[in-house]
Formats: sequence, C-alpha cells, structure tokens
Amino acid sequence: MAQQLQSINLVAPAFKGVNTEDSPLAQGPSFAEIADNAVIDKRGRIAARKGHTVVTTNKTVLGTDSLRAIKEYKDNAGNTKIFSVGNNKIMSGTTTLADETPGSYTISANNWKIVNFNDHLFFFQRGYEPLVYSNHAGVVEKMSTHAHATGVASTMYGHEVLAAYGRLWTADFSTNKSTIYWSDLLDGVAWSGGSSGNIDVSKVWPDGYDEIVALAAHNGLLIIFGKHSIIVYDGATSPASMTLSDTVAGIGCVNRDTVQYTGTDVLFLSHTGLKSFGRTIQEKSMPISSLSGNITKDIIAALQNETEFFRTVYSPEEGFYLLTFTGQDVTYCFDVRSTLENGSYRVTRWPSTKFTSFTRLENGTLYIGTSNGISTYTGYSDNGSGYRFKYYSPSLTFGDSSRVKILKKLKPTLVGANNATVFLKWAYNFETTYATAEFTVGNQITGFYGESEYTTVEFTAGQLTNARVLNTTGYGTSVQVGLESEINGFALSLQEINVMALIGKLL
Amino acid sequence: MAEENSDKGFMDMLGDLGSYLMQPDVLLPGVVGGLLTGEAYGRLSDIGREARTGAEALAAQQMEQTQFRPFTVTTATGAGMGTQVTPEGGFETTMGLSPQEVALQNQLLGGAGGFFGQAVQPREAREQAIFERMRRAQRPEEERQRLALEERLAGQGRLGVSSAAYGGATPEMLAMATAQEEARNRAMLGAMQQAQAEQMQQAALGQQFLGAGYLPQQQLMAATQPSQQLAALQNQLQIQGAGLFGEATMSGLEAQLVAEQARANLLGQTGTGLLQGALTPSTTSTEAAIIKKILGG
Repeated sequence: MAQQLQSINLVAPAFKGVNTEDSPLAQGPSFAEIADNAVIDKRGRIAARKGHTVVTTNKTVLGTDSLRAIKEYKDNAGNTKIFSVGNNKIMSGTTTLADETPGSYTISANNWKIVNFNDHLFFFQRGYEPLVYSNHAGVVEKMSTHAHATGVASTMYGHEVLAAYGRLWTADFSTNKSTIYWSDLLDGVAWSGGSSGNIDVSKVWPDGYDEIVALAAHNGLLIIFGKHSIIVYDGATSPASMTLSDTVAGIGCVNRDTVQYTGTDVLFLSHTGLKSFGRTIQEKSMPISSLSGNITKDIIAALQNETEFFRTVYSPEEGFYLLTFTGQDVTYCFDVRSTLENGSYRVTRWPSTKFTSFTRLENGTLYIGTSNGISTYTGYSDNGSGYRFKYYSPSLTFGDSSRVKILKKLKPTLVGANNATVFLKWAYNFETTYATAEFTVGNQITGFYGESEYTTVEFTAGQLTNARVLNTTGYGTSVQVGLESEINGFALSLQEINVMALIGKLL
Repeated sequence: MAEENSDKGFMDMLGDLGSYLMQPDVLLPGVVGGLLTGEAYGRLSDIGREARTGAEALAAQQMEQTQFRPFTVTTATGAGMGTQVTPEGGFETTMGLSPQEVALQNQLLGGAGGFFGQAVQPREAREQAIFERMRRAQRPEEERQRLALEERLAGQGRLGVSSAAYGGATPEMLAMATAQEEARNRAMLGAMQQAQAEQMQQAALGQQFLGAGYLPQQQLMAATQPSQQLAALQNQLQIQGAGLFGEATMSGLEAQLVAEQARANLLGQTGTGLLQGALTPSTTSTEAAIIKKILGG
C-alpha cells in the first residue's frame, strides 16, 4: 500500500537568521545555514536586501580608491554638507566629489573618524593634526589654524574622537594609549585652558593593562573601551570630577568604528562578537550571551583575518546594524528589532558588496561608500547590477533523524521576485552537492487580473506572491533546502517552503 | 760849701718863717710832735702788714684743715671702693668686685653680648629653620591626607585626571594643594613672626643680662652711699671747724689790729698836739701872722 505524502511546512524559514554555532540537527527551519544578501523583512521573513544606487557622477578626485568614511555636516542654522574621505583626500559633495584637503597637508591614510560638534565637523586620525570644517570658515582647515584654537599639539592627534557632554574627547594616540583628552566646554578647538583636561586611565584598567580603542557616551556615562576591558565613568558632564562607575574585564572593543548607538544601548564589536553595552554591564565579564552568538566563530574568524577597516552603521529605519569587514568584503547584517531566545540578534550575511563606508543622514537616508563614490541604500540592484540572494536551511530531520525522508515536492511561496529566476536546491545527509530546480517567476503586474490598465493605485492588488510546486528527487535522513535568486530590480521574500515528503524506514 | 750855700739858700727862701721855726719853743715841740706823728704813721703800716700776714697764715691753715680725706668702702660680698687724692690734687676712685661677682658679671655681660649678637643676626636663616620645623610637624598629616586622597581618587579612577580649570589637577587635588599652600603660607608667616619675636626676645634678654651684669657694680655703688654720706658729713664738719677756727683767729687778729690802731692813733694825736702847739703863736706878731698866713689862718 502506497504511503501517504506528509506535508512539512517550513513557515517563514530562516526568520531567525543564520546560525552556524548550533548543530544543524538541533536547529529548526527557523534558522538558516546560509542567508546571503538577505535581511529579515518587516514581516519577519527572510528577504533580499536592498541594493545601492550610486549618486556620484564625478569621482575624479577619488580615482580608483574607495570611500573610507562619509559624514554629514550639519549646523544649527540647518546648513548641511556631505564629506567623505578616500584616496588620501578629504572630499565634499555627493554627485561631484570635490577635493577639500587643506593646502600643504599631506595625507597618506584614510582611516579618519569624523564627528559633528557645535556647528563644526572634526576629522581625527592618529598621527595627523585634526581637521576642522565649519560653515562660517567655509573650508576644511587644520585645527591649529582655526580661529580660537589653543593647545593643539601632536600629543592630542588622536585616532578616536567623541563629541559628547559639550566637549570633544580624543584618545588612542601614537605613543599614548591610556590618556583621554577633552576640549574646553563647547569649543572643540580649545585643548588648553578653560575646562579642558585629560585623564590617564593606565592605573584604572581592571586587569592591569589595556589600550584605549574607542569612546562612547551613554546615559551620562563616559564609556572607555579598551581592547579587552571596559571602564565607565559617571558624571562626565564635569570631567574633572567624573568618577569611575564600573569596570568590565575580559570584554573590549576591537575597533572604534564598530561602536554604534541604538538609542537605548551601545553596540560594539568585541573579540568574541557583537556586544551590547547595557547587557555587558549587567553581566559583567561573564560571556553569557552575545548579540552575534549564532555566528560567533564566523565573526571571530573574520576578525582575525581582517587587514583593513571595520565599518558599521546603525539604521533605525532599516532596523539593522551593518558590520563590514572591508578587507574581506563581507558585511554582517544584524536585525536589531528584537533578540532571539539566546539573546542574539538575527543575522544575515552580505558578501562581496564592495561596501567600504556608511553613514546615516538625519533624514534616515543610508549612504554607502564604494569605489564608485556615494550611493544610497535603495532599490534592488547594486547600481544596476544584480546580486545573488541565497537561503539554505540547516539540515532538517523533521523530528526523526532515524528515518529516511524521500522528498517528492517542494512548494516555495515567494513574495515579490518579479521576473526573477529562482533556483531551488536540496541535498541529503549533509552533502554539499545540491540538486537544483530552476524556475522563473515571470513578469508580474500588480494590477487586477494581470492587466496593466488596473495598475493604478486604486486597482493595485498589493504585494505579488508566487507559489510554485517543484518535483524533487533523492532521499536521506536529513534534508537541506536552499533557494537562490539573482536580485536585479525587484524585492524577494521567502514566505514559506512546503516540503512534501515520504517518511521512509528506520536506518 | 755848696750845701751850706744850699741850706742857707733854703732858710733864706723861708725868710722870716725860718727864723720863727728856729726859735726853741717852737723847734722842740715841733720836732717831738713830728717824731710822734711819724711813729704813729709807721705803726699803722706795721699793723696792716701784720694783719695780712696773719690772714694768710690763717688761710693756709684752713686750707689744710678742709682738705679731702680719702676713705674706702668694702661690701659684705667682698666688693670694695677706694678714694684717693692724686699728686696733682685730683681725686681718684677705684672700685673692685669680688671674684664671684666678677665671674657673674663676666657671665652676664657675655650672655648679653651673645643675645645682642643673635638679635642683630639676619632673620632669614632663623625663619627658614622655624619654617622647616613647622613643616616637619605638618608633613606627616599632609602625607596622610595626600595618601587618603590618592586612594580616594584611585578608587574613583581619577588619579590621572588633569584639568586646566583646576591647575592641571582634580578639584580635590587643587583643594588639598590650596589648603597645603595656605598651611605653608601660614607657617611661613608664623615663622617670620616667630623669628621677629625671638629677635625681640633676644634683644630683651640682652638688655636684661646687660642690666644684670652691672648689678654688682650698682650694688657696690649703693653700698658706698652711707660711707659717702659720712664722708660728706665729715667734710662738712671739717669745713665748719675750719670756719670756726678762722673766725676765732680773725677775731684775735682784729682785736690786735684795733689795739695797735688805737696806739697808733694815740701817738698820732700826741704828735699832732705837739705840732699844733708848736705851730700856734701866742702873740700877734709878724711871725705869727706869717705862720697864720702859712697855716691858712
């Protein structure tokens, strides 16, 4: 007697993102083995990320280099100006990149950190005299030549800069890794006199020695990130009187550019993964949880292999924190809207994006820096080129790893993916050789009845969905299902995959 | 011959007067009266001479009687004072202290010299010494406070804070440094005042020692006061005795002088009478008229 097909519905597969930490067999279909160029969309589905559209049309100044940092200058009068760095130059503008490098100022590195402070934009990089831009000056100039500048000396040419509590704070100098300088109140170019000062924290590190990597301000606290420890000062509004509030040993920050504020917390990348300051303070040095707990090994490997820059951005509009290892050309996308049971963010991976810098504008626009100049995070192509969306489930046993599963049909339900070619893949028993079924979604029109005359607003049918039934072959005790598609112009979300299988004998 | 001529000429010149005088009843009384008068005159001269000689002898004797008589004083502590008249007639006083008093005086005067010597020394060194002494007393507590602050700052993770607003330190460090500087300033001013007070004290002590150094001498002088009074009394008595002696002697001289004067007067009156009788004519004659004319009658 023929056995009845069993329907195993993988609803919203991979909505928990990638998990490379747990055993595949222990994972449900809510995790993904691979989720490339994907995000978790607003309905909790795995979906293709957006692409980027290059805004820059004239990048002569940039040459063949990539933008290494982008920052929007904004003053109280509402003046705005986009600055970027790359090719050993300071540039401004979006469509045309104009050279703003001060005369007789030689730059040989592009690892600038740029901050807005009190109608001025400050550029800091270790070993370089800080640069200042203001609307009233109209040019980028060396800090020492700026009006009212005092105390600008090579000892304070820091790598890290923070604008907080009415001052600029800088640290991580060429020969001094334990001192933080702060400027006079509301005067980012005054580094002597007034209420300026400094603090040497070399005697404060909880485990004896560390080096300052990054600074952050949160809830009235000054957070000093070392490489493997954190010290927190309270009362930083009056830095001469601020007092040590907390210390955390064993957790530090690997790079100043990984620190991002989410409004309620501070995210930073430690040697063991992405961390939350709030939770770190609660848990102290106990490595209970990590926001990147599902890809810890991957993150650590990426950290160890990185030779260039770390670039991050937090976008509340997109609900993600992007972490790019520029030397490896890989970006991890952490969905910050909620955490999983283990406290981790849902994470996906964006390989080969060529993203080298980010910034979020005041209006929420996400600017991305590449070798093409400045792009906006929008649309579904990388400046007209497609990118491959990949989803692979973990190896699924459907609750009984001792029985053979014989896949008969796969029924993916896709949202969007207009005119896209989709590759459905499956493999058994942890093999990496996949069987593939290809189909094209076709040109879908969002009008009623598929007629273009009903594509106007009052007649549109909303989101397009596409459900296909594909016959499959083979058998095994575990099954891995994947879906790939070239994204080039249209969004794609994976609503569900319905697996029709026969449950076979015990092995 | 010439004298004869001459005598003869004088008598010739007297003319009738000469003839008159040559009369015996005139010539004898006249000569005796003249001699008596001359004797009286000579005796008066002798009286004056003798009176002067007697007075001079009296003065010399009184000088000797009233001459200063040296005396010596010796105190109960062995100090002594002596007086003497020098060969030149001056007075010489010598004072001497006992060996113990000399030793004490030397000690006191030496001490006074020492104190005065210290009083005139520049104060800076002493001020510095006092200041260092005060600071030595303050430093342990300051060190304790510094360590406490250091521990507090270390506990607060603020050891390395340097703020331009607080002189390159923390507010607490500035407050402590200010307090310590104030303490240093107070110590410095205190040291100056103390040095001044000590200087005044040295001067006062020097003054006291100086005064005390002369105390034995003053006591000696005081001890001579009764002796000096006695000497003065003796001197007064000498003077009084000499005065009485002089007065008595002068009284004898005056009595003798009066008697001699009376004798001389008597002789003179006798001579005068004789002369007057001799020269007074008993009849009216040419000669009498001449004598009367000569005598202004």
